[in-house]
Amino acid sequence: MEQLDREYQYFVGAAQVAASLEQANNIAKQLSITASNARAVALRAGQNAAGFKPLTDFIDQLANTTISSSKNINELANKLSRNSANKYRIDNAFNKFNGVLQSNNQAQFNQSLHQPISMIVKQQQALSFTHRSLLEKLSEELILLSDELRTAVVLATLSRVEASQADTDFQDTLYSVADNVEEAATKIKAHILSAIEHVNSIKLDRR
Amino acid sequence: MKLTKINKDKSYHWYVLGRDPEKPQAIIDTNQYLVVTANKALIMDPGGIEIFSSMLAAVVKICPIEQVTHLFASHQDPDIISSLGLWDQALPNATLHSPWLWEGFIRHFGMSNISYSAIPDGGESIKIDGVQLTFIPAHYLHSSGNFNVYDEEAKILMSGDIGAALEPHDAPMYVEDFDSHCDKMRFFHQRWMPSNKAKSRWIERVSKLEIEQLCPQHGRIFRGDDVKRFLDWFDKLEVGLVED
Repeated sequence: MEQLDREYQYFVGAAQVAASLEQANNIAKQLSITASNARAVALRAGQNAAGFKPLTDFIDQLANTTISSSKNINELANKLSRNSANKYRIDNAFNKFNGVLQSNNQAQFNQSLHQPISMIVKQQQALSFTHRSLLEKLSEELILLSDELRTAVVLATLSRVEASQADTDFQDTLYSVADNVEEAATKIKAHILSAIEHVNSIKLDRR
Repeated sequence: MKLTKINKDKSYHWYVLGRDPEKPQAIIDTNQYLVVTANKALIMDPGGIEIFSSMLAAVVKICPIEQVTHLFASHQDPDIISSLGLWDQALPNATLHSPWLWEGFIRHFGMSNISYSAIPDGGESIKIDGVQLTFIPAHYLHSSGNFNVYDEEAKILMSGDIGAALEPHDAPMYVEDFDSHCDKMRFFHQRWMPSNKAKSRWIERVSKLEIEQLCPQHGRIFRGDDVKRFLDWFDKLEVGLVED
């Protein structure tokens, strides 16, 4: 029973990772819109905000990386959740079959249960292997994305520097672009950290 | 789980498995049926997840698990077939015979290994080790896609929900006093059976069959003259009623 409760935590944990990444993905989409707006402002400002335009390309790149990376991570988390749900079901089947095998000794054909039990055990092993490799991959991808987001801090700082040197007509808009980048990156990072925590707690349980 | 052999003097055997004392109180008591031939076996309406362990333990008292090559689900209800995902682990080469109408629904219980054999609306016959079993249409009694199983040689009709009664789990397996048994059947048929027309068509159809035992999925088995008594009682009963 305790084992099944733990399995339950695994697929709920994986679903929570997927949910965190879904939110990160939505914020990254907003970041992409911010990049487009910033590009439009930089074009309108022309020479008055010349240094800002190349930064908008980097903001756009960061948004796209986050979107594609969180999409990948989301798929991994969904696979992990499905795998964990299957493991939960197969472990449940094992407990039922094994329970009958252990308690039904007087039944003439009780030993015939060994065959399905050995098939179940093979499936359990395959699912455990997939679970471990998905978890490792998920962990790696999350750390990679978290590292990518460090760029956002630099981008926000550089945006502020460029905003301070731009024509006063455009300064407020450009400062708000910098704020948006920083705010989006902070929120995305928080979701990723929450996802990493969920992954680590699943890993910890596994041990 | 109580295990009773219900046919006599045959080269193959019919069993009813039910009256499970370990079943949780809140779930309805069910009768499962098993036909065991020389090398194969068919479980009819194998039951819900809650009674799977008791069923498995009972089946291996009768035959090796790999001998179970066929399952039958009269319709899609959870008390009929929600254990499918577990049987699927035990019987990788088995076939489930069930109404075509419910295939997409029944697969939700989990079915990766067992094959689905869709029964057409008009019914069909199968042979298991030479034993012929016929799936008799019983649509809308109560499910919209629904079948009984008829064994012409043993003269047994597994009638699913038709003939069902709501009783305690330690009730006898056979009807002993038909008149007093009617009270236990009335609500079940009036509330769960939606169509008088479907009822009349079914009575007309099964009246042509030679039936010595009528075996419902809940309650007790009808024997001999009680089969005719049941058909007459059911014929007069108005169904599709609800007090609201």
